[in-house]
Amino acid sequence: MSRTFDRYASIIFLLIGVFFITESRKIAATSYGSNVGPDIFPIGLGILLILLSIKLFIEAVKSKQEARGGEKPDYKRFFIIFAAAILYIVLLEPLGYVITTFLFLLIGFQVLERGGWLKSIVIAAAFSFGVYYIFVGLLQGSLPGFPV
Amino acid sequence: MDTVQFLMNGFGVAMQWQNLLFAFCGVLIGTAVGVLPGIGPMSGVALLIPITATLTSGLDPQSAAASSIILLAGVYYGAMYGGSTTSILLNTPGESSSVVTALDGYQMARQGRAGAALSISAIGSFVAGIVALLGLTLLAKPLSQLALSFGPAEYFSLMLLGLCAVSGLAGSSITKALIMTVAGLLLATIGMDNVSGVSRFTYNNPYLYSGLEFLTVAVGLFALGEVFRTILDKDNDDGKVAKVGRILPTKQDMKESTGPIVRGSLLGFFIGVLPGAGATLASFFSYITEKKISKRPETFGHGAIAGVAAPESANNGASGGAMIPLLTMGIPGSGTTAILMGALIMYNVQPGPLLFEDNPQVAWGLIASMFIGNVMLLILNMPLVKVFAKVIDTPAKYLLPIIVAISIFGVYAVQFNIFDLALLLACGLLGYFLTKNDYPVAPLVLALVLGPMIENNMRRALTSSNGDFSIFVTSPVSLLFLLIGALWISIPLIMKMRGRSVIINEED
Repeated sequence: MSRTFDRYASIIFLLIGVFFITESRKIAATSYGSNVGPDIFPIGLGILLILLSIKLFIEAVKSKQEARGGEKPDYKRFFIIFAAAILYIVLLEPLGYVITTFLFLLIGFQVLERGGWLKSIVIAAAFSFGVYYIFVGLLQGSLPGFPV
Repeated sequence: MDTVQFLMNGFGVAMQWQNLLFAFCGVLIGTAVGVLPGIGPMSGVALLIPITATLTSGLDPQSAAASSIILLAGVYYGAMYGGSTTSILLNTPGESSSVVTALDGYQMARQGRAGAALSISAIGSFVAGIVALLGLTLLAKPLSQLALSFGPAEYFSLMLLGLCAVSGLAGSSITKALIMTVAGLLLATIGMDNVSGVSRFTYNNPYLYSGLEFLTVAVGLFALGEVFRTILDKDNDDGKVAKVGRILPTKQDMKESTGPIVRGSLLGFFIGVLPGAGATLASFFSYITEKKISKRPETFGHGAIAGVAAPESANNGASGGAMIPLLTMGIPGSGTTAILMGALIMYNVQPGPLLFEDNPQVAWGLIASMFIGNVMLLILNMPLVKVFAKVIDTPAKYLLPIIVAISIFGVYAVQFNIFDLALLLACGLLGYFLTKNDYPVAPLVLALVLGPMIENNMRRALTSSNGDFSIFVTSPVSLLFLLIGALWISIPLIMKMRGRSVIINEED
């Protein structure tokens, strides 16, 4: 895993370096009376990043480290929670803080370990209502409330 | 006014009731953060920044900054206390800085001396906290005076030194650490260039004009990355919690640990002052030192109380020492201090030599509050250690989704936009993959914080020299910093080439 990842990562970092260099050249010349413009720093860093990623690529090819064994990561539970988190941030403004937080927590609790519905509901409700009322009521903060 | 007068004023600030409360909350949360295996001091501090920002919103900017930094620093050194609890009771260190504590601490717990181990580590941490405080008070003024004499070229080289130090010691591959540093510096260039006012890499996205928000990136990389890792790797080990037993150490215990505590505190403090060498390194070094000078080195690893006292004092001393470069020169030496620095900048308080003149309330208030916080921790930890031992049992099932919810709440409450939330989730994913493959994320965050300042100083130096890069090597101080920085990177490399194992500093 590690070796393949390093190889891909080195290519990605190389592309990032190239990207920053080419994009820096498009930055308009500064009106500031100096020959040290806003593009020098990112261009220099871009070159450095390219050199480092070449070094990383060589190291990754040379290294004989075999893929580390071990348990397969638990993708299923992770994807459900990550998808729930994306839905959470997308729906946060239209549906309001309390509803989305409550649902996200409930899904999260149940995905990680099934059962204990009552306890899950109580904790999720206490957290979402608690944070909302303390933050908006007591601290006068602002959060999206409820759908109108 | 002299230092004593300033310190007294600092105590005046720290003794205000709301600041006492903040310090108390800080150390309490910090201890819990240290005890919980899922979150380390970095994610703990990052998570709390938005919450303190809202709590202090009613105060004037100076006191708001003082109060929140008091709380955040409390979390930092509180976590050092808490980290030892899990090491001793469960043999699973809550933080990397408590890894060595587990060697002897867990053995002591198995012999029924867990209480003594816990209280000796609390006492050791307390002594170290006081040593660090004294050092901070003595060194603050001379160091900030020295830093005031630096010009842009010296500053540039000093910050470069800081980055080199952190990259040289982070993770197993220096190449990877350097890549992360450069990537962080590049990310820092996104947004409005504050010298010329030209916008860079923004592509007309209004959220990008002010640059990537450091808070969002830090919470994502550390807190969410850690949560994702725990979910993906099914990292919910259910160890057995050892019984705490008798809390007070015996006279013999005290006698055996006095020396290690004093040595550990001093060693930890001086290692903490060095940029890049954080609490983890300090605790390792002090453990090795104690073992070397001990009359009975064979007892180490079998429940020697010196093996608990020394590293625990050292890691707390280091967390105090790490405040020195941050407060006097504005150079954070570790991931957590980088986050503290980001928090100060959010309040428009610039850490550095001028901090003691411009914001004495913040600087000395923080120093004084660290003293009070350490007293609180000692009082809190001795009788309440059994309660904290219970915190370990918090089921991951509830903890993990709640950390995600707190991260999202925190970022939204400060930024008020969905763009930052999306960035948060993306950084969480990135944090997981990067740390899993040994790319250290602490240098990236440090570079993101230091980036604008490094660039600014570089360009100011170059402008005054008409674009001549030799200005960085003709100034002797600047040259010295650059040489030390180069050494910091190359020495571990040379040692590795010779097949020597190098102690690395994991996130702390």
